[in-house]
Amino acid sequence: MSDMLNIALPKGRLGDKVYALFEKAGFGCPEVLEPGRRLIFEARDAGVRYFFVKPSDVAIYVERGAADVGVAGKDILLEYAPDVYELLDLGLGRCRMCVCGKPDLRDDPRRTLRVATKFSKIARDYYAREGRSVDLIHLNGSIELAPLLGLSDVIVDIVETGTTLRENGLAVLGEVCPISARLIANKVSYKFNYPAVTAFTARVREQCEDAK
Amino acid sequence: MGSTFSDPGAADGVFLRLQGLYRAFGYTRYRMGRFEEYDLYAKNRSFITGSSILTFTDTDGRLMALKPDVTLSVIKNTAPSASLQKLYYRESVYRAADAFSGFSEIQQAGLECLGKLDMYSMAEVVTLAAMSLEAISDRYMLDLTHLGLLGGFFEDSGVPEGAREELTRLAGEKNSHEAGALCRALGLSQEAAGVFLELIHLRAPLEDGVRALSALPLGPTAASALSELARLAIALRGVEGLWLDLSLRADPGYYNGVVMHGFIPGVPTAVLSGGRYDGLVRRLGRDAGAMGFAIYLNLLERLMPEPGDFDADLLLLDDGSDPAALLKKVRELTASGLAVRVDCAAPEGMRFRGTARFSGGELIE
Repeated sequence: MSDMLNIALPKGRLGDKVYALFEKAGFGCPEVLEPGRRLIFEARDAGVRYFFVKPSDVAIYVERGAADVGVAGKDILLEYAPDVYELLDLGLGRCRMCVCGKPDLRDDPRRTLRVATKFSKIARDYYAREGRSVDLIHLNGSIELAPLLGLSDVIVDIVETGTTLRENGLAVLGEVCPISARLIANKVSYKFNYPAVTAFTARVREQCEDAK
Repeated sequence: MGSTFSDPGAADGVFLRLQGLYRAFGYTRYRMGRFEEYDLYAKNRSFITGSSILTFTDTDGRLMALKPDVTLSVIKNTAPSASLQKLYYRESVYRAADAFSGFSEIQQAGLECLGKLDMYSMAEVVTLAAMSLEAISDRYMLDLTHLGLLGGFFEDSGVPEGAREELTRLAGEKNSHEAGALCRALGLSQEAAGVFLELIHLRAPLEDGVRALSALPLGPTAASALSELARLAIALRGVEGLWLDLSLRADPGYYNGVVMHGFIPGVPTAVLSGGRYDGLVRRLGRDAGAMGFAIYLNLLERLMPEPGDFDADLLLLDDGSDPAALLKKVRELTASGLAVRVDCAAPEGMRFRGTARFSGGELIE
């Protein structure tokens, strides 16, 4: 284990927001804000090393110990169920995992419901809890097209503002769960770097509470 | 679907140290065959980590399995005895962790103690688990919990059956934000919810952790589990690297009482897991207690040093003219401590500190 806390952040808007939060908590690394294509940034004084990865890969980096801690969306954690500690709800990137479809959809429980989604496990778990038989159709993008073209009856997808749904004549039919960014930790790193990880978590928690 | 079969040599050194340790405590070696009737695993499926088992039909028509686990075989194939059965093993098991990763050969070493277990026996197994980790790495942590602590809390606080698995999962994640919300949704008292969050948070050296738990307003069932853990902690005084952490998870259908996971720096998951599994023994029809642990030798590959810059010191390119003289020369060189590879051409992908030719009985630099 190195003496620096390795932190995996998601690339993109969420990563920028999370970095700003961590900077306020006292873990700034000015190089992060410089334009360029670097992926790894180190702030020796603050004892942290940041690296930016694809949002869906953060949990893998943390679970496999390449990062001590990281920030991943709850959607990713529910879908891939990595064996990590989930230490904090950062309250950033808030959105909802929803069931969406045509507003006038009449769900006939005698028929298997066709569900298109990128989040197969989340959808399967949700409908298992509901006791509903479903035909899951795994898609990788443009999920909204599926009910419009008759590929599926509904979709299970992330809804932020609902604009894309409205523009395509779709509506939220039900909420599966709320989503937000979570601070996660590798279980072994947590144990061997306990003082550093818990101090980091406590300072970030304070910032989250101040921001409320 | 790909399969991985690891190099057994990487784990040999570790096992020799473990073997010496287990023998010193009077454990004897248990050896098992590669196959077992599939029925054994079908009846105890949830005990097997992962869901897939390699099966084949034997010549007599029986459905057989490449063993996915050692413990079940140990219980099934050892006869009940008035004395304790203290066994250690090194075996390969075969299983697929999930639907995507393919089957793997997993090398395990470990020990099992079966019979009428008393506090000494439990303390001895925990001590051997700690000493096993110490034999692998000078830095280690052996986390312990007692399943009766969370289970007892659920009983004492009236947590509905349907919510216990979810709360246990959240405890396993140290996920206090969602656990707090679920406690409120379940209508638990503020005091009970506070105790549960304390249980989730707790991580401390074993005796300190026991003291911290003693200060909590636990109900009678959880307090009984704590009492057993406290007696174990006293018996274990002087054993280093023991921590109390209630985030450890284990199937309560098989495990009961003390559960432990061992960790070393550089390996991102537990390298050792085990605990008390009377439930499994009873399920297999024996009236006995049991405790043991397994060490996943495959994971120790991550601790191996990085490969050196060279595969051998010297590459000797031979023209085949005088094999006897060549062999004599190679034996001289290796006796002087050099690693020598003889070949007719430079092998692809290998690196050597130096290269020489051997021709007409002479070494040509």
